[in-house]
Amino acid sequence: MPELSDYLILGAILFSLSIAGIFLNRKNVIIILMSIELMLLAVNMNFIAFSHFLNNIEGQVFVFFILTVAAAEAAIGLAILVVLFRNRRSINVEELDTLKG
Amino acid sequence: MNFEMPNFLLALPEIFVLGMACLLLLIDLFLKDQDRHLTYLFSLFTLVLVAVLTVYGYSGERQISFNGAYVADGMSQVLKLGVYFAVFVVFVYAKDYLRDRGIFKGEFYLLGLFGMLGMMIMISAHSLLTLYLGLELLSLSMYAMVAMQRDSARASEAAMKYFVLGAIASGMLLYGMSMIYGATGTLDLSGIASQAATADKTLMAFGLVFLLVGVAFKLGAVPFHMWLPDVYEGAPTAVTLYIGSAPKIAAFALLARLLGDGLINLHDQWQGILIILAVLSMAVGNIVAIAQTNLKRMLAYSTISHAGFLLLGILTGTRSGFSSSMFYALSYVLMALGGFGMIMLISRKGFEGDKLDDFKGLNKRSPWYAFMMLILMFSMAGVPPFLGFWAKLSVLEEVVASGMIWLAVVGVVFSIIGVFYYLRIIKLMYFDEPASEEELECSADMRLMISANALMVLGIGLFPGALMAACAAAFSTT
Amino acid sequence: MGIEKFIFYIFSVLLIASASMVITVRNPVKAALFLVLAFFASAVLWLLIKAEFLAIVLVLVYVGAVMVLFLFVVMMLDINIERMRAGFIRYLPLGILVALTMAGMLIWVVSGDGSAFNHSVLHGPSYSNTQALGLVLYTNYVYPFEIAAVILLVAIIAAITLTLRRRPNTKHQKPAEQIAVKRHDRVRMVKMKAEERK
Repeated sequence: MPELSDYLILGAILFSLSIAGIFLNRKNVIIILMSIELMLLAVNMNFIAFSHFLNNIEGQVFVFFILTVAAAEAAIGLAILVVLFRNRRSINVEELDTLKG
Repeated sequence: MNFEMPNFLLALPEIFVLGMACLLLLIDLFLKDQDRHLTYLFSLFTLVLVAVLTVYGYSGERQISFNGAYVADGMSQVLKLGVYFAVFVVFVYAKDYLRDRGIFKGEFYLLGLFGMLGMMIMISAHSLLTLYLGLELLSLSMYAMVAMQRDSARASEAAMKYFVLGAIASGMLLYGMSMIYGATGTLDLSGIASQAATADKTLMAFGLVFLLVGVAFKLGAVPFHMWLPDVYEGAPTAVTLYIGSAPKIAAFALLARLLGDGLINLHDQWQGILIILAVLSMAVGNIVAIAQTNLKRMLAYSTISHAGFLLLGILTGTRSGFSSSMFYALSYVLMALGGFGMIMLISRKGFEGDKLDDFKGLNKRSPWYAFMMLILMFSMAGVPPFLGFWAKLSVLEEVVASGMIWLAVVGVVFSIIGVFYYLRIIKLMYFDEPASEEELECSADMRLMISANALMVLGIGLFPGALMAACAAAFSTT
Repeated sequence: MGIEKFIFYIFSVLLIASASMVITVRNPVKAALFLVLAFFASAVLWLLIKAEFLAIVLVLVYVGAVMVLFLFVVMMLDINIERMRAGFIRYLPLGILVALTMAGMLIWVVSGDGSAFNHSVLHGPSYSNTQALGLVLYTNYVYPFEIAAVILLVAIIAAITLTLRRRPNTKHQKPAEQIAVKRHDRVRMVKMKAEERK
C-alpha cells in the first residue's frame, strides 16, 4: 500500500513543476493556464491523500469544490484570453507592455 | 446520518442578495439600452434593503450555522455594512463613467453584486472551504469586470495579468490550506484553533507560509504586489474603484478569520512574516508612488503602502490590534472611494482624467471639488484632524502597545515620506495654471455623493469615536 | 512490494513525466494532450486510495469538459508557436533551479511525518464513496454547495459578457415573417403596353 508521504511527495513534485512551468513559459499564457491546472491538481492530490489517511471525508468534499471552481476559473481565463487575442492578435505576455511602471 | 437543520435565517442577507441578483439578471435581459438606469436603481435598492436586513436580522450574539461554515458576529455585521456602503458609492460613481464609454450594461452591476456576495461570504466564513469559495466568487467577478471594456487592449491586458496572478495566488492559498487540513484534520476554523497546539509543527508552519503568500498576493503586499499598479491603471476607472475599495474590507476579513479565528496559536510564527510584508509594503508603496505621473498608478502604490499599515495592526495579534486594523480598513476604503471618485468626476467622454497634470489648477475650475480633493489627500497622507490620521494613529498605538517601538517608528517615517506625493497633488490643484478652463460636467447624484464622501472623511475625522467604538465592540463579543 | 505500490509507482512516473512534458513541449495542442494524460494518471492514483467518485469526476469533468475547452481555444486562436518559444532556454536554468528548490523543500517537509498518520481504516465491501460524499454534500455542505452554484453562474455570465458579440449586419432568418408572407408582398403585377416588334 502506498503511504501518505508518497502521495505528498508526488503532490510536492507536481506543485514545483507547475511553478517551474510558470517561470519557463512566461511568454505563453495558454501554457501558464495549464500550469495553473497542474497546481490545482497538486493541491487536490494533497487533499485526497490526507482525506484517506485521516479517514475524514472533508478533504474529498474540498476537492469536489476545487474541481468546480477550477472549471469556472478555466472558463473565465479562456474568455479573457480570447478577448485579449482579439485586441492584440497575440497572447505573448512579453508583448504586454502597454502597462509599465 | 444525523443532520442538524441549519438556521437559514442567519444567512438571510446572503440569500437575499443572491435572489435579487438573479432577479436582476432576468430583468436586465428584457430592458432596452435606454432603460438601463432601471438596473442601476434596482441594484441600489437591493443594497439599501440588504443593509436593513443585516441590521435587523442580527441578534447581537455570535452564532454559527451550516455545520460550522457560517458565522454571524459583531465583526461580520460591521464589515458587511461597510461593504454595502462601499459598493453603493461605487455604483453611483460608476454610472456616468460607464455611460460615457458605452459600457453601461447590466453586467457591471450584476458582477458587482455577485462580487459583493463573495465578500459577504468571506466575511461570514467560519471554515477554510467557505473562505476559499467566497474569495473565488469575488475574484472571478473582478477578473470579468476588469476585462469588461472589450475593445480596450489595455483593459484586457490588465485582466489577463490579474487573472494569472490571482489564480497563482489561489493555488498557493489552497496548497497552504491542504497542509493545514492535513495537520489538524479539520476545515473548521475553531477546530483548527483547538487542534493547532497538538498538530504537526513543520506541516503547520509550511501551510502557514503558503497561506500567507496567497493572502499577500491578493492583498497586494510587497513583494507580491507587481500586478496591482498594472491592473489599477489598465482597468476602466469604474472597475478600479470597485476593486480598490470594498475588497480591501474583505481582505481584512480574510486575514482576521484565518489568523485571528483559526491560527491565533501560531501567532509567534506569522508575526515575523507579517512584519516583513508590512515594512516592505510601506517602503515600496510610499517611495515608488513619488515617481508616478498617472494618478491611478499613484493611488495603486498608495494602496500598497496602506496594505502595509493594515498589516501593522493585525500582526500584534491582540484583539485591540485587530479592531484597529478594522478601523484602518474601513477608513481607507472611504478615502479610496473619494480618491478614485475624483478621477471619475473630472473625466469626460473620451478623456480619462487620470494624469496628475489633469488636476492642474482644479481650484480655478471648481474651488469646491478642489477642496474636496484637498480633504481626501490630506486624509490619505494622515494629516490631523482628518480620518486617515486617526486610522494611522490607532494602528501605531497598538504596535507600540505590543512593544515594537522600532516598527512604529518605521511606520511614521514612511508615512512622512508618503505625505510628499499627496501634497504634490494639492500643489498642482492650487498653484498651477489649468490646462483647460472647461466646467466639470457630471450628474447631480455624482456631485452629491462625492461631496458627501469627502465631508464624511472630514466629519468622521473630527468625531472618530463612534466608528472606533463600533470596531472595538466588534472584537469584544468573541 | 505489493501490487498497489507497483501501480502507484508506474502511474506516478507517468504523471510526473506528462506534467514535465506539459511545461516543456513546443506545441500548445500537445501540451493540452499531455495534461489530459496527467489527469488520467492522477485519476488512477486517486482510485488507489479509494476516492472513486472524484477520480471519475476528474476524468469526466476535467478531461471531458475543461480540457476540451482548452483545446478548442488553442485551435481557435492562431498562435505563432515559434515566437512563443524565444526566451525559453534563457529561463530554463532559473526554472529548473526554482523547481528543484521547491521540490526539495516540500519533500523535506512532507516526508517527515508519514508514520504519524498511517491509521487508514479499511471500509467494508458495502461502503460507497459516492454515497458517503453525497450524504454530506447536500446536508452539512449545503451552504458551500450553493456558493459553488453561484460561482458557476458567474462564470457563465462572465464568459458570455466577454465573448458574445452581436454583429449589426449578420443575416438571420425570421421564420414567422417568412410564413406570414402573402402573394402581393413578393409578386408585383405590372401593367404595360405590348411593345411592337421591330
